[in-house]
Amino acid sequence: MPKQIYDVIVVGTGAGGGVAIRTLCEAGLKVCALNSGRRLDPEKDFRNHRMTWEMKYRGFGDPQTRVKDMPDFLDSEYNEGAWEHDIAYTTAPGTRWMWPRCSAVGGKTNFWGRSSARFGDIDFRSATLDGYDADWPVTYDEIAPYYTRVEKTIGVASTVQNRPSNPDGVYLPPFNFRCLDMILQMGSEKVGVPYLPDRVAQLTVAHEGHPACHFCGDCTFGCEVGAFFSSPWFLLPAAEASGNLELRTNAVARNILVDENGHASGVAYMDRGSRQEYEVRGRSVVLAASCIESARIMLNSKSRHWPNGIANSSGQLGRNLCDHLYATAASGYLPQLLGQPSFPDNVGANSIAWMPRWQNLQNAHEETFVRGYSVYPDGGCSEFPSYYDQIEGFGSSFKREIKRRYPTPVSFTVQAPSLPSVSNFVDIDPEAKDSFGIPKARIHFRWGNNELRMFQHAKQTCARVLHSAGGVLEYAADEPEMPGYSLHETGTCRMGNDARKFVTNRFGQTHDVANLYLCDASVFLNCTDKTTTLSILAFSLRTSEYLVQQFRQGSH
Amino acid sequence: MAGQSIERREILRILALAAGVATFPGFSKWSFACSHIGNPLAQIKPAIYRPVFFSAPEYAMVERLTDLIIPTEDTPGARDAGVSEFVDLMVSRDPELQRDFRAGLGWLNQRGRQTWGKAFVMLHPDQQTTLLESLAYRKKFRPDDEEGQKFFNLVRDYTVMGFYTSEIGLKELDFPGLKFYAESPACPHKDDPEHRHLDPAPSP
Repeated sequence: MPKQIYDVIVVGTGAGGGVAIRTLCEAGLKVCALNSGRRLDPEKDFRNHRMTWEMKYRGFGDPQTRVKDMPDFLDSEYNEGAWEHDIAYTTAPGTRWMWPRCSAVGGKTNFWGRSSARFGDIDFRSATLDGYDADWPVTYDEIAPYYTRVEKTIGVASTVQNRPSNPDGVYLPPFNFRCLDMILQMGSEKVGVPYLPDRVAQLTVAHEGHPACHFCGDCTFGCEVGAFFSSPWFLLPAAEASGNLELRTNAVARNILVDENGHASGVAYMDRGSRQEYEVRGRSVVLAASCIESARIMLNSKSRHWPNGIANSSGQLGRNLCDHLYATAASGYLPQLLGQPSFPDNVGANSIAWMPRWQNLQNAHEETFVRGYSVYPDGGCSEFPSYYDQIEGFGSSFKREIKRRYPTPVSFTVQAPSLPSVSNFVDIDPEAKDSFGIPKARIHFRWGNNELRMFQHAKQTCARVLHSAGGVLEYAADEPEMPGYSLHETGTCRMGNDARKFVTNRFGQTHDVANLYLCDASVFLNCTDKTTTLSILAFSLRTSEYLVQQFRQGSH
Repeated sequence: MAGQSIERREILRILALAAGVATFPGFSKWSFACSHIGNPLAQIKPAIYRPVFFSAPEYAMVERLTDLIIPTEDTPGARDAGVSEFVDLMVSRDPELQRDFRAGLGWLNQRGRQTWGKAFVMLHPDQQTTLLESLAYRKKFRPDDEEGQKFFNLVRDYTVMGFYTSEIGLKELDFPGLKFYAESPACPHKDDPEHRHLDPAPSP
């Protein structure tokens, strides 16, 4: 029996893969999707409706399986087994990097932070504005309709804000401001910086057949009812209903197969359980495995046509890795709220408010850094009184002070984009292999001065905001979080018109291999001050429709 | 990833968890204490808990320390929430913590014997408090006590972690999570955005 040849093989089922799979299946193409892990069952695998004391390790997870230098959610008892424990990377000397990967179907969209701002012309034309690096090969006007369609699909709660760096979109009613937001907003006004409702992909009202949020707890442990966007709740069901999808789970993609002309002809993958290698054939391949993983698969796809990795004639594959610098720019408390009754202001663990980029808007060189950063304020009655370490002593007074300060804590998290740099990139470790025998990625990364200056600027500004709000500053981080922590890495297969300088064209199609496409943040020129997922969805939608068009024209 | 739970992250920074024990006998107080919130002192019977790591005298000391740090008063404290059982579990799974705890408990006993001629648990409660105060309050610090101060902070970290992840502890805080809301909860003081005119807060 001849092997089935699919129209498209899609590697990855997260934001980018989910959109591609749905778009391609609905267009009538036969799709085989590969996902490295299993399907999650929301009722069994999402335990957000449980309390800390209902779990043996109080939600921290079994210490025996804890992975060093990784965020706690990797081992959380709230979503056991969803995150990959196989380590598929090494770091070059001098590099610190964490690379948490979610192997579950739907990937990180199951647990993401949900902040969803559009990129703007200020981002796409950044090189023209400040002279650094390159513009995107796409204008805002071109991508705007895709943002609109994505927002209508997923549901984003926010307001129209008329900010120069933040084009407005189509929004559901916003989250209400909490006491701490009202107070910090007043403080921000005095300092002259914006404090506005964030753009949150979370349903404040029922939307397109999905129920409204019931504000039960920490969404980053997964939603039992699908009240915020994730690929398994919002995208994959329609694809499966089309009858055109075959989803292979526990299929760990290894490399892209090529035909005698060097074109993509399929994907080789390892079965997680048997550790056997399999091949699946297709007329085209879409990589949406997340930016480092997609680059790793391509770099591991060596053949006589592509001795340095597939579609790498530019030598740019793996280059220009960017990430968001995350750090606590300021934290402290609001004395106005001392001793007040507890208030349900942290039940969604949301970024309810944000301080969208306010730097370098009129003139690209106003500040000591180029471009800009955003800040996420947060606080209130949280699940754990982590401010206790600011209170001296023990006993009766200690316990009462913890209670008295319960409604008061606030913190500001800076989100500052790294600038593309020749020294920040991914290649393949010449020796190390993961547990499937696949060569590991090797990461080379250091923060640059531009983002470190943003960090200092954010610390100064947030301290002023807190002070102006009548708050007390207690802490500001000396060092940023470890690179990789934000899960917002971009680059490695950047898009551009010049085939000598960029891996893909303006549609995410590789310059070298016409039937190989990228549908994740690997094609982004840089990470901007905004979060990544909404733009992955919009760009993937555009690339997927372009791919459908290529099929209709008979190109594949 | 904005919106990640900062709290859990912070707690896990405190924890330096490593290899653990092979068996886990379960808790005695912890689970059943949860259903007796109304009047915990009246209803909780002395539980028989067999520590995983600590010896009986060490465990008694840990129990006393957690009790001193978050006491039972008009509201329940660490003892009611079985915090010492949590501490025992966590310590049992981390060799580094085991060393720190053993050394720290020894330090406290030695200080008790030096000053009052008795091991820590045998001291009068006032003496125990005095000893801990010299480790907890900057203005009462004594020279060359860094080891004791560090250990006190460690015990305090684990006591707070254990207490405020228990049902008793989160009820004492009135943690507002895990209730369902029809719409996102909004500030009820819209006429006072700066919150300058709230009802005066009771002092601790």
